[in-house]
Amino acid sequence: MSDIPAARVLPSKESTLFKELLSLYETRQLKKGLKTADQILKKFPKHGETTCMKGLVLTHMGRREEGVELVRKGVQLDLSSHICWHVYGLIHKGEKNYREALKCYTQALRYDKENLNILRDAAQLQTQLRIYDGLVETRYTLLKIRPAMRQHWVALAVAYHLNGNLTEAKKVLEHYESTLKNVPDYDVEHSETTLYHVRLLEDLGEFTEALAMLDVNAKSRAIVDRTAIMEIRARLLAKLGSNEAEHAWRVLVEHNPDCYEYYRGYLSNLGLSLDTTDPSAPQALTVLAEFATQLPRATAPRRLALTIASGSSDDFRALVTPYLLSGLRKGVPSLFSDVKGLYKEEAKQRVIEEVVLAARDTFSVEPPSSSTVSTDVEPTSYLWTLYFLAQHHSYLGRHAQALEVLETALSHTPTLPELHMFKGRVLKRAGDPLGGARCLEDARFLDGQDRFLNTKSAKYRLRGGMVEEASALLGLFTKKDAPSPGADLEDMQSLFYLVEEADAHNRNGNFGPALKKYMAVNKVFDDFEDDQYDFHGYSLRKFTVNIYLNLLTWEDRLRSHPAYVKAALSATRIFVAVHDDPSIGTAATGNGGQLTSAQKKAKQKAKKAAQKLQEDAKKLAAASHTNNDDKGLELSPKDDDPDGTKLLTCTDPLERAANLLKPLTTLAETNIEVWVAMYDVAVRRKKYLQASKSLARAAALDAQHPELHVRRIEFRQTVTSLPEPPQAVGPILAESLSKLLQDEVSLEAFNSQYLQRHATSAPAILAVAKAMVKLQAPRDQVEDTLFTALEAQVTLDIKTALAILAFLGTIKSPREDEFRTRCDEKFVLATVFKSAAELAELRQLAITAPQAVPDKVEDIP
Amino acid sequence: MNIRPVRVDDLPGMQACNLQNLPENYTMKYYLYHAMTWPSLSYVAEDPKGRIVGYILAKMDEDGGEEAEPHGHVTSISILRSYRRLGLAKKLMVQSQEAMATIYRASYVSLHVRKSNRAALGLYRDTLGFTVQDIEKKYYADGEDAYAMRLSLKS
Repeated sequence: MSDIPAARVLPSKESTLFKELLSLYETRQLKKGLKTADQILKKFPKHGETTCMKGLVLTHMGRREEGVELVRKGVQLDLSSHICWHVYGLIHKGEKNYREALKCYTQALRYDKENLNILRDAAQLQTQLRIYDGLVETRYTLLKIRPAMRQHWVALAVAYHLNGNLTEAKKVLEHYESTLKNVPDYDVEHSETTLYHVRLLEDLGEFTEALAMLDVNAKSRAIVDRTAIMEIRARLLAKLGSNEAEHAWRVLVEHNPDCYEYYRGYLSNLGLSLDTTDPSAPQALTVLAEFATQLPRATAPRRLALTIASGSSDDFRALVTPYLLSGLRKGVPSLFSDVKGLYKEEAKQRVIEEVVLAARDTFSVEPPSSSTVSTDVEPTSYLWTLYFLAQHHSYLGRHAQALEVLETALSHTPTLPELHMFKGRVLKRAGDPLGGARCLEDARFLDGQDRFLNTKSAKYRLRGGMVEEASALLGLFTKKDAPSPGADLEDMQSLFYLVEEADAHNRNGNFGPALKKYMAVNKVFDDFEDDQYDFHGYSLRKFTVNIYLNLLTWEDRLRSHPAYVKAALSATRIFVAVHDDPSIGTAATGNGGQLTSAQKKAKQKAKKAAQKLQEDAKKLAAASHTNNDDKGLELSPKDDDPDGTKLLTCTDPLERAANLLKPLTTLAETNIEVWVAMYDVAVRRKKYLQASKSLARAAALDAQHPELHVRRIEFRQTVTSLPEPPQAVGPILAESLSKLLQDEVSLEAFNSQYLQRHATSAPAILAVAKAMVKLQAPRDQVEDTLFTALEAQVTLDIKTALAILAFLGTIKSPREDEFRTRCDEKFVLATVFKSAAELAELRQLAITAPQAVPDKVEDIP
Repeated sequence: MNIRPVRVDDLPGMQACNLQNLPENYTMKYYLYHAMTWPSLSYVAEDPKGRIVGYILAKMDEDGGEEAEPHGHVTSISILRSYRRLGLAKKLMVQSQEAMATIYRASYVSLHVRKSNRAALGLYRDTLGFTVQDIEKKYYADGEDAYAMRLSLKS
């Protein structure tokens, strides 16, 4: 080009050096690269491209601050250089700042329109940012430049597809296929591409064409994925109403007789429903019975039949009896969780109970010990039957009965971990998390090599609030060189661990560490989101387009995951609490006068771990000045807030909460808690219209929800006490408010009406009491209301009782202890209502090593 | 339990199942890499509520250059303790092996197991028919040896 700016032109020696610099960077010879850059800059200190390259090299060497500064300077020195903009884009991309990166790439492309590298990167950024119209353009340009590259064709088709233009995508593929010559046999890439073409046709509703294409290519072995062929074929034939469909589904059932989807396809193709009440049920049962005979090893047809058969028919008993007996004989631990879905029908519940009780009687018969006659009753069958019965009782809320059965089983065989595990679960459900933790530890002790038992035991410790003690267990299976067991589990993205430990801290009132872990959950999802980036290029090179498209769909709905929902809601509640009462945050930063010794230890440990990390980081930084190691361009975040204190005292808690909740308004919009939380944040940010909309969404989901009730009252109070209504939205706000709570009704009347309607619901009683406090009712009245939750006609569960107890604490009620002891009497098995001293003792008991377990199975009673 | 080919939205469940059961764990990127490279080789077992209770994460082994026989490799397989004795591992393995053989013409499938893991060794050898091919010294990060096991797919 003739219009190269003079400042960019280097004399031939330096020009050669610059080319060298580029290739040194490509091969990551960073030290040499740095030297070369300095050589050029010595003579031409204002050379923008060299400055940028030096900055890039330094960033790779771990000297990020210095490096990024140079890159910025370099760009300023030469604003029309594609190299400068490219480098700046790389830096942003490394910081996962995709939007800024794309801006830089767009600039770079202005000065070098046909640069393949930049175009490819830009396409990946556009996909990551879901800028699909731009993506089509970029992919089109790439194809135009290099039409011989097979992946450019497929990439363009995918871009059209993502942009919603399936017809154009199809045309591109057709064109592409017409140019193909000599596709080798068993070419997986070609197979995947052809499957993609078939999928496009199916999505376009062109089923006949799709089927024809599938059949031709399956026959010629151009498509090699047999399972995919069979699945798509059956689906297409069914959609076409072809009488070949039945056979196609049957082939699938025979191919994988444990896939429920295939049976469903087979049945629905015959017009048969899996719904018990459907008149076609007997026919479906016949079909399943045939499959069961034909495929003796498959469980699916037998299990499906149990769903379809009516509980009041003899069919059900005839089907469920062998199913249960076989499971009990084999000692299948999951038998109960397998059939509990059937408990929705009470008749089925009864039949199952009868069958299992009868089995217990049969199996409990003492085998003739002196005789040599072999018996087909194994002692373990008896045990597994008791195990089943315990689960059965517990599921139906009969905790005491469940425990009784478990005691029988445990005295029979104390060495089966499942029995201890389930006993722990019963205790936990009955409000004794510490007793539960004790049992899980007994289970773990029986097989210390089993990580499953280890994880469960740690989980129960967390449920019992024993964070440190849980960590000690988890550490038996985490990497030894990790700074802490928790750090390894966080690196490995264990959502289970992060949520459970956060909840434990939260219940213990340690809001800093709780918030820290909830935000770590958010970070895991950020990482999942970033993970897709490389595949925007990789999957197209590999031609695995079908699953790649599914990846994008999954990524778009990522934060509907229950762990994210839970973490976002809990973190929001803490952010809101700390906004309302900043002393929560400052208390955590204080010298910790309230901390127990375990908490102090934990704090010290966290501090040490953080120190170690920082030292390591320093060492690394120091080392990077001298060696050639490539640190990459990605940020490696330093953790300067190991116990979440900074998070807790941040200046923008509401904004952070709003960011966490944002994705949930589309991904979890049927969860009423999301709208309640949205309201809580909005009203405090004085976004009254958004607050009223959130309450309206909540009301649409459950108009009588107790949490909504409190907020209706709070919202009217807030809006009517505004010095003047917000200008623009005043009338709309007034209207939406009156929809939530009629203008003419007084708040007191509204509250007492709600109580009358829901007098037997404990959560409603709590909500009314909360509202009374807002309405400044005398405390003794609030207390009286709360105590009605203990009356016989009210259904009170442990969770609500704990919430009431906590609320009594927040209003500094002198009757808090009275409520606690009353609950302690009411919930016989529960320990959560014990006094602090009693709890300390139980906690000790929960973590001491179990008594030596007899290693010999005792005689059968 | 339902046995079916893996879907992208199964991967978090698979990761959770692995973390609960086994000492060898991976970040999501590694699961994605498997799914995006060999989309038809991994399978899951799910309970009636749709929870992943077992999985096989598999790939094709591409080490050994062009002339080496193509063969499959099981990166990880596990079943939650409470879902054992249903033959799920075998069912998952059979489906995955079939896919390895038909799609990639794999002649055998390989896997590694910790020398100390008697239970897993028993499963692979006695239930699934693998044989010990070799011992790989210090295969695991903590210095433990691995048995390299194989199962022929030629019938």
